[in-house]
Amino acid sequence: MWDTIIINPMTNLLLWIYDVLGHGPHMFGLAIILFTILIKAVTWPLNASQVKGAQAMQELNNDKEWQEIQKKYAKDREKLAQEQMRIYKEKGINPFASCLPTLIQFPIIIGLYQSITRALSITPFDMLKLARTIYPFQNVENIIPLNSTFLWMDLGRPEGIFQSIFHPSFLPNGFPLLALIVALTTYVQSKLTMPTSSNPNDQSAQMSNMMSIYMPLLLGWFALNFASGIAIYFITSNLLGIIQYAATGRANWSNLLPGSKNK
Amino acid sequence: MNTKRLVLISLLVLGSLILSACSGNRTVSNNWHGLAADAEHAYVASGTHIYAVNMDNGDEAWRFPQEADSKLMFYANPVLTADGQLLIGSAGSSHPFYSLNPANGKENWVEPFTGAMGAWLASPLIVNDTIYAPNTDGYVYVLDLEGKQAADPIQIGGALWAAPVTDGKFIYVASLDHHLHIIDPSDGSVVDTIDLGGAVPGTPAVAENGVYVGSFASTVEFIQSNGNHEVVAKTENWIWGSPVLAGETLYYADLTGKVFSFNTTEGSQNWEIALPDAVVAGLLVSGNQIYVATEAGNLIALDLDGNTVWEKPVGGKLYTAPVLSGETILVAPYQAETTLVAYDVDGKQVWPFTPEK
Repeated sequence: MWDTIIINPMTNLLLWIYDVLGHGPHMFGLAIILFTILIKAVTWPLNASQVKGAQAMQELNNDKEWQEIQKKYAKDREKLAQEQMRIYKEKGINPFASCLPTLIQFPIIIGLYQSITRALSITPFDMLKLARTIYPFQNVENIIPLNSTFLWMDLGRPEGIFQSIFHPSFLPNGFPLLALIVALTTYVQSKLTMPTSSNPNDQSAQMSNMMSIYMPLLLGWFALNFASGIAIYFITSNLLGIIQYAATGRANWSNLLPGSKNK
Repeated sequence: MNTKRLVLISLLVLGSLILSACSGNRTVSNNWHGLAADAEHAYVASGTHIYAVNMDNGDEAWRFPQEADSKLMFYANPVLTADGQLLIGSAGSSHPFYSLNPANGKENWVEPFTGAMGAWLASPLIVNDTIYAPNTDGYVYVLDLEGKQAADPIQIGGALWAAPVTDGKFIYVASLDHHLHIIDPSDGSVVDTIDLGGAVPGTPAVAENGVYVGSFASTVEFIQSNGNHEVVAKTENWIWGSPVLAGETLYYADLTGKVFSFNTTEGSQNWEIALPDAVVAGLLVSGNQIYVATEAGNLIALDLDGNTVWEKPVGGKLYTAPVLSGETILVAPYQAETTLVAYDVDGKQVWPFTPEK
């Protein structure tokens, strides 16, 4: 079911782009980038809805009336919840507007990861699974196996550069440049989209702060340990997210420096 | 920059560096088994271990390594040399190439192969005193029988999953890069490269004046040592397993489950039969029977006219070509309760082997 609805269509789309590009060296990396752009374009309304929902929640957190209600019912959780629902209703806020699009995108991200790893099948068993995935219209004989070279990387392996001069035992693949770029772009994206809050008790702002530290580390770790094709996806996705948010005019560039106070 | 910012940035960089200690190479963590046998033992390469199984009773004789090492994975068909070595390389995150003593599983020598970037999925070829070991990094590594580099690696291109073969003069290397490469072993030069139109995962079948190769282009081609080649047969789907030449007859199967018999002298098909399940594994031809292992987990014995003699459900999925030891047929099912099953030529199970934890 998961394969039929998510993995197979995504893998075939990825392979189709690769075939159209000419299936030579570097083309699978380009295919991943174009594929990510396409996925981002399709999910653009969801992202926009997420940004809008987060903004509405943030405006509420800065609302004087809401802050007074929070103080007034600080020790009465039940009453506070009732007041919160009342205010949501009055201001037309959907509390799930910011998290629902993320939940919907989650299977897309998982599917994308699985599609890339399936397309880069490195064992006979993986190749056999891939063969069963490909739709009849694909020019399958020509495109298999994929050329996994992209710039200095093998997209099926964790990335590292300067391996000949930089190879301490704890860095067998060389200097992890891509992982650092993944961590950096994730950090930039999360900081730019971080809600600004004048409310010192704003838990969502505190949570965002924590996430802006943990997410870059987590995705950086993924980039270190998994096929570099996934890192290409992360970087492309992060850059597109930054562009999308900057296009709304709400990007808070002053948030980028660690320790800076939200404005 | 205040201290807090400095600490956070340092943590970010350090975190990436420290976490990278866990990073591995392009690892192969799942594939079907490799299989070989001599009169004493069956040798099955089953992921973390190579098991030697006594042919007379199906008991485990030894395993290598004794304790599983997550960096070592074995899937290639092990190869026995004339001087009594068992050769196999690791497909795990590290890529040592081992020579073992087939009698007890002790290491004769190990070549660490820090230079090989890929996994060892193909069996090596031994020509005189030289080992030609194809790697998924696209190189054929040339060693002597003591594990020392005998010549520079030969660059082929594409991942190499198939064991090379020789006609006594040239070495033929099939690659996933859609080509068959002909190597002159005297100087290691690639004398010809033939485009087959599709990846070649199976070992070619050696004929008197060339080789037969099946490919993902759904064709069987005959390639002469001078590079002349022609498509001699077409199939409905990919040919994965190695074609088998028995006398003048070539046997091969495709992923739709069709098994073919081809008269190489007349250049015409003798017969074809359609099995209900895909055939990925190469065929085994012995005596008057053809043994077909199907993906659905059945071992089928056909007579030389393509009639079914017997059929046995083995279980799991059969991707590894059956192997003969004396008059015993060995099959190594994948994703099954047993790792190895032995049958006699009448289809009676002799023993199953399941490794103890």
